[in-house]
Amino acid sequence: MSSTEILALREQYGTSDQQREVSTIGMWIFLATEVMFFGGLFAGFAIYRMYYTQGFMEGSAEMEIILGSVNTAVLITSSLTMALSVYNISIGKQFRTYLLLLTTAVLGLVFLGIKFTEYYLHYQHHKVPGIWFESSSPHSGAIELFFVYYFCMTGLHALHMIIGISIVCVFAIRTALGRFNARYHTPISILGLYWHFVDIVWVFLFGIFYISGLHR
Amino acid sequence: MPEATVSPRIYFLTYAALLCLTLGTVLIGYLDLGWFSMFVAVAIAAIKATLIAAFFMHALYEKVVIRLLIGGALLWFLILITLTMCDYITRSWLPVPGK
Amino acid sequence: MIAHLTTPDTADYLTEERGIRSWLLTTDHKRIGLLYIFSVTFFFAVGALFAALMRLELLTPTSDLVDPETYNKLFSMHGIMMVWFFLIPSIPNTLGNFLIPMMIGAKDVAFPKLNLASWYVFVIGGCVALYSMIRGGVDTGWTFYTPFSTIFSTTYVVGAAAGIFISGFSSIMTGLNFIATIHGLRAPGMTWFRLPLFIWSHYATSVILVLATPILAITLLMIAVERIFQVGIFSPELGGDPVLFQHMFWFYSHPAVYIMVLPGMAVISELVAAFSRRAVFGYVFVAFASIAIAVIGFLVWGHHMFVAGQSVYSAMAFSVLSYLVAVPSAIKVFNWSATLYKGSVSWDTPMLYAIGFIGLFTVGGMTGLFLAALGIDVHVTDTYFVIAHFHYIMVGGTVMAFLGGIHYWWPKISGKLYPEGLARLSALIVFLGFNLTFFPQFVLGYMGMPRRYAAYPPEWQALNVLSTAGASILGIGYLLPLCYLIWSWRYGPPAPPNPWRATGLEWQTSSPPPKHNFEVTPIVTRKAYDYEGMKEELGLV
Repeated sequence: MSSTEILALREQYGTSDQQREVSTIGMWIFLATEVMFFGGLFAGFAIYRMYYTQGFMEGSAEMEIILGSVNTAVLITSSLTMALSVYNISIGKQFRTYLLLLTTAVLGLVFLGIKFTEYYLHYQHHKVPGIWFESSSPHSGAIELFFVYYFCMTGLHALHMIIGISIVCVFAIRTALGRFNARYHTPISILGLYWHFVDIVWVFLFGIFYISGLHR
Repeated sequence: MPEATVSPRIYFLTYAALLCLTLGTVLIGYLDLGWFSMFVAVAIAAIKATLIAAFFMHALYEKVVIRLLIGGALLWFLILITLTMCDYITRSWLPVPGK
Repeated sequence: MIAHLTTPDTADYLTEERGIRSWLLTTDHKRIGLLYIFSVTFFFAVGALFAALMRLELLTPTSDLVDPETYNKLFSMHGIMMVWFFLIPSIPNTLGNFLIPMMIGAKDVAFPKLNLASWYVFVIGGCVALYSMIRGGVDTGWTFYTPFSTIFSTTYVVGAAAGIFISGFSSIMTGLNFIATIHGLRAPGMTWFRLPLFIWSHYATSVILVLATPILAITLLMIAVERIFQVGIFSPELGGDPVLFQHMFWFYSHPAVYIMVLPGMAVISELVAAFSRRAVFGYVFVAFASIAIAVIGFLVWGHHMFVAGQSVYSAMAFSVLSYLVAVPSAIKVFNWSATLYKGSVSWDTPMLYAIGFIGLFTVGGMTGLFLAALGIDVHVTDTYFVIAHFHYIMVGGTVMAFLGGIHYWWPKISGKLYPEGLARLSALIVFLGFNLTFFPQFVLGYMGMPRRYAAYPPEWQALNVLSTAGASILGIGYLLPLCYLIWSWRYGPPAPPNPWRATGLEWQTSSPPPKHNFEVTPIVTRKAYDYEGMKEELGLV
């Protein structure tokens, strides 16, 4: 055992393998709670989509498909760099891991930048429920409901991104300081799980908000 | 048990597949498929999610307990949406308002 | 005072470090369990105060003590305090926190810092809820039904919801910790089917905590969004559906009932075995019954909405599924009763509470079947019948189990013995007071007295007076243990490591235990409750 590993081993665990395993289980349990957290919103969206099909289609037609698609690509790329960081630290390449984590954080920021540009465009089009919402469509109530779900879900997703980016930055610095190595890098693997999960949520958000009304 | 390592080749292949699926879902989205369009959008998203979980998140190489957790979370989400939907779908079956 | 005879050299978890700082920054699961005991007792007292005011108001048919608006706030705040700040954390976060690592032979939970964080989050949530109550309270009922809660109510809905939202994270952290601990930190030889039933029940509870609480969080968040921005999510005039709110709310809140009662069952399994000196009859059935309750408990939420405008077909499905959940619950009651058969039963205080639990839980469970039946439910919906039913489960069940568990493990927690005679007397008082309080409510409900009203027709006064009288007796029954337990903490005689001569790893270490629970990590070679095999070790021959 290296010295960092001994320092990182908490007293309730017998071995570092056990600690890594239990930490991984812990992260997956947390992700299960996240599935239910977003799941409540997805279920509500599905029901209203069924009830107000026309209005939700019209709402979906208001999406910025180019920005949304680019954003999806950006996020998938950040998932790749995150997966590569986990791989590189597991073979002990600290500097490469540091660069990859930084890239991940930058891509995350790009995603947020594009996302907030979209929000601004929705604001300009008067599509922000409760603040400035106007629509001439006969389904304006349903379109408003669509945008309520849109802002709640993408907003919560953005909040998860902000938390994720902050942790990625902290871990990039800790990698640069040599805190992680081939034998001890559980925190980075676990952060990876979180990052990929947030990516998965976006993939579904992209599908239900942007794609389903695209043909109009 | 040592941690599962996945070679970068698989990561790049997954990445390529994800980008193709994203492009594909946008292109299919321009077709007018009626109610089916939502189904296709969610189905493609589900395939992408499976790829991310299986390879990026190593779910494919994990122990039984992790797979149980994933299965459990999905099952519980299905319980929520199915039983709620049951109510909404069957509401119009009786010709009595509100029943 | 006699020093700890069994472990003269090592300090225990209470004396190892001193000072307020060592408590507020502790990561020791036993100390965190104690912190939780203090905080839930405080919130219980607040909730009980609201209940006392309500019962005083209902002493007379007219609303004379408080006006109806205040009464609305009283029952809402009673519900919120009791459900989220007492019942949900009552057993898992106190006894569960204290005992789970010890029972599986671990040094601590899997994530001790997260455990401490959960306590802070819980206290912050409690303070936020309490603050909104002091500012003026909330009058929506603990259920926050829309559109009243989002459009019409002028009280502090968002504040109360925020308090609950915050405390929800504490539930999730605790559930996560328990699942990871039970999976990863069992001592060598502690296989799944050697685990005490306490652990199985808590595992099932944790599954519910982890999978249901997020839905509550998102539902409360939506309420806040609707209320603050005045956009339609659950309000019909804005295009939303109030029944969707009820679906989402009860998807959490029905399983939450099992969050409250499963840990109670966990305690009862331990008590029945210990005081019958027998292994719990049908261990595997009881273990899987816990899991079955957790799973089926998620399929029955619609029985709260039989008159809410849900479709009749869906109501029928939920009715049948609700009957189904009675099966595993009945398995547990039968198996506890069967454990008593041919056991050498002793009637110490914890056992009195356990027997009380079994009886009252059976009454509560059976009346639950009435409510699962569509026809009867329409008749008694929103009456005192429902109130009596769920108080039989939550007060007659969970609170009895909580008190029984506190008495049973008190020597382990405090290292002191409590006065047995007084304790038996107060157990009796609690049982009598409880029944006098809530049995008349079954009758009142069946006669049609609706819940949540400050006034009622004069012909119902006699039963209401009985109920209020019972509540005051119940209050004394709760105050007595509070007094003599605090007394015994200071002046009680020191407890030996295993005062009940029970099996279980927690009894094989000193009382109170050392910081890391065991001097050496135990190796488990027996199944749980092996009273036959451990006769000589325990001195039972």
